Amino acid sequence: MGVTLRRFRPTASDPWDQVKAAHLLNRAGFGGTPEEVARLAALPVEAAVEELLNFESVPESFPAPDFTELHGMEDELRRLRRDRAPEAALRSMVQRINRANIVKFQELRRSWVRRMIETRRPLQEKLVLFWHGHLVSGLPETRVAEHMAMQLELFRRMAAGNFKELILAVSRDPAMLSYLDNNTNRKGKPNENYARELLELFTMGVGHYTEQDVREAARAFTGWTFVGNEFVFRRDQHDDGVKTFLGRTGNWDGTDIIDIIFEHPATARFLPRKLWAFFAYPSPEESVVEALAAEFRRQRWEIKPVLRMIFLSEAFFSPQAIRSRIKSPAELVVGAVRLTGATVPDEALVRAMDLMGQRLLYPPNVGGWPQGRRWINTATVLVRYNLGGLLLYGTMPGMPRRRAAPGPVDHLLDADRIRTAGDVVDQLVARFLQSPLDGRRRWALLRAFGTNREDTPWRPDGVASRAQLRSAAHLIMSMPEFQLH
Amino acid sequence: MIRGMTRREFIKKGMTLVAVGWTAPSFLTRTALAVNNPWDLAQVVSRPGVPDDRILVVVQMGGGNDGLNTVVPFGDDAYYRARPTLAVPQKDVLRITDDLGLHPGLAPLKELYDRGAMAIVQGVGYPNPSRSHFRSMEIWHTADPEGRIVRYGWIGRYFDSNCPVCERPTVGVNIGPAMPLALQAESGVGVSLENPEAFQWVAGFDGIGAKEELELFRLLNAPAPNEPGTIDFLRHTAMNAYLSSEQVRGAVGAYKGGIEYPNTPFAASLRLIAQMIAGRLATKVYYAHLTGFDTHSAQRGVHENLLEQLAGGVAAFYRDLEAQGNAERVLVLAFSEFGRRVAENGSRGTDHGTAAPMFLFGKGLKGGLYGRQPSLTDLADGDLKHAIDFRSVYATVLDRWLGADPQKILGHNFERVGFL
Repeated sequence: MGVTLRRFRPTASDPWDQVKAAHLLNRAGFGGTPEEVARLAALPVEAAVEELLNFESVPESFPAPDFTELHGMEDELRRLRRDRAPEAALRSMVQRINRANIVKFQELRRSWVRRMIETRRPLQEKLVLFWHGHLVSGLPETRVAEHMAMQLELFRRMAAGNFKELILAVSRDPAMLSYLDNNTNRKGKPNENYARELLELFTMGVGHYTEQDVREAARAFTGWTFVGNEFVFRRDQHDDGVKTFLGRTGNWDGTDIIDIIFEHPATARFLPRKLWAFFAYPSPEESVVEALAAEFRRQRWEIKPVLRMIFLSEAFFSPQAIRSRIKSPAELVVGAVRLTGATVPDEALVRAMDLMGQRLLYPPNVGGWPQGRRWINTATVLVRYNLGGLLLYGTMPGMPRRRAAPGPVDHLLDADRIRTAGDVVDQLVARFLQSPLDGRRRWALLRAFGTNREDTPWRPDGVASRAQLRSAAHLIMSMPEFQLH
Repeated sequence: MIRGMTRREFIKKGMTLVAVGWTAPSFLTRTALAVNNPWDLAQVVSRPGVPDDRILVVVQMGGGNDGLNTVVPFGDDAYYRARPTLAVPQKDVLRITDDLGLHPGLAPLKELYDRGAMAIVQGVGYPNPSRSHFRSMEIWHTADPEGRIVRYGWIGRYFDSNCPVCERPTVGVNIGPAMPLALQAESGVGVSLENPEAFQWVAGFDGIGAKEELELFRLLNAPAPNEPGTIDFLRHTAMNAYLSSEQVRGAVGAYKGGIEYPNTPFAASLRLIAQMIAGRLATKVYYAHLTGFDTHSAQRGVHENLLEQLAGGVAAFYRDLEAQGNAERVLVLAFSEFGRRVAENGSRGTDHGTAAPMFLFGKGLKGGLYGRQPSLTDLADGDLKHAIDFRSVYATVLDRWLGADPQKILGHNFERVGFL
């Protein structure tokens, strides 16, 4: 005990400035425009962090997805069943419902990306993305779109709340119950899928429990299922015999299992380690993990104090963290749309993320998406580099061609403060990369404005200068530096 | 004729890249020398007797394939006792011996088996098996069950071993959204793609013009010394992608073929691989994925469908290779991270288990059954005991198919299996 994470104290040589404010917005949200960064940088660092953390106080409303049509189809199916309709009629109704769910899933994917772009509570939406990759559910196992929408709402509601309560809630969540088969986990016929991943991936990590613990935990979760959209505990399917889990013997049910999990020291370290890796940098030092774990225990599994400790730490604002992390496809796409103000159909944005290897609501497996360098391979790097083309010219390889007129770019610059080509490059680099660029690469960007020299006079003169600006922005978005934040 | 870039094209495209890169990585310059004939690299030859133009195709059956319902021990009562709802009825099994047979969904593979073009290695596993998908997959990818710190994959280490065309970015080609650990090499070679159309970078439509923009793109992505690790990694990956893009799309576009494939994503991956093989892409190892084998509940229809996808895809691929005249050059190896428990669970599914069969296909192998069917009654913790270490299969493939030294790559000398 007694381990602390050193607090960030701005000094003259290590100030709270635009680079750090941009870093905070990148990690605790989806990045900021130069105006948003400047506003945050003008606040004291503590106030900036609190503003992001206390997102509940920011009013926000997005329309809830509408499932009326699907409900109507389900009523119709029930009616057919009651009337003992022919098998063929039932089958075709089930197929219609399945198709409607797939369509709805697509709609959910689009509206979620739109919400990430427009939200005034960036940290909340960032946490929803984190939970989607940590407490994983999705297609094809979770087939009911409404269950998926409910799970996203659960993550939104409990985003920075109490982790133990979240684990209990997600253990009773229809999307999760179907994704990991607990809806078929019955007395005498246990299905250990949920119990195993609860221990391995959600709360403790491998190495802290035995195969026997997995089996006993599975018994404790028997009878936890759902009907319609509601969690149901089926007493007659619950194994109420004695179980021994992590050395404790008793007539445990799922809630007891979760209690015992949270008494184990590994649990206090597991989530903080993953939060740090997601928000700061991978493989944190053991002292960092210990400090976060101590706070997590002290705050009885409240997540917000752990996040506060992360965002206010010296290590979070160190060179090891700043601009060191590869953006996930969601972070890259949402961030780039916010930086460019591009108006591209949400469908294309979702498709771009798919091609980059992050199919939202369709996770690769229960482990979620691997982070860091695992995002990058020869295919995804090219798709990422083509994103600029999509945002500036309306198309990219691998998508249907819909060449619209090139989008507006004047708003990317503050024209009043520009005299030379060097000034233009400065402003673009500040917007897109948020830290200075070396001379050789600056030179390449100057070339986009048809010059070799920083001091070549530059003034916006309509079509030609806008085209140059697009070229330069396109090139910046095709650079390795833009892949990091 | 060898496809790919001609020397003149390369000098036009590639050498400008080397020129603007100031300090081009050595693989670019070495590649420049060898570009005319990817299969004729005088400086690197494998052992005498092992042709250099051999290809390995790895099929990853992700999720843990139920081995007992794939190669069915229909002569064993214990099987039917353990699987009251899931057992494949005796009458449906495609018999290969008096007590073993294939799942009926594998009919197209049974045909290959009967022609001697399929080997089944039974009871494959490793000591102290992990039932975690992630840990077990990592073990299969690194060939390192002891968990020493191995950062690269078993195939990646083969790429690092001075093998033919191993300096080409395209030496390993994965069809899928993420590069598998198995293919990751210290040298950073290897290409991953899903959609050949999307596998290119395009310049903007106005501004300074496409030609000039492409030139600046190369400059901005040229690897340089003293860059931070992640930036350097991105630059190298981008360069590999840029150099391979035209070759891959060229190879794919060149072959039309007349073989019909099933309409599944897995078969589409294999067709893409067949196109690249026909287009003579300089590749030693291709990697394809079929996932969904984690059948904890309602296994019957799902598993049958997956086996049909496997069989339909592999059989079409084999026909295609025969039509191309490449069947002798290609060996397919199919694996899964573990098998499933002997007894079915209460959800008409199966939970994570241990040993399972591996499959090999090709005209160049000795077909038949290898290894030993594990006992269904002498179990460890309710699970099968493995008979053969998976690294024996890897060692056999490395040694007798790829002509590499398995001891160097796997760290030990594993017994060979007789399929090669």
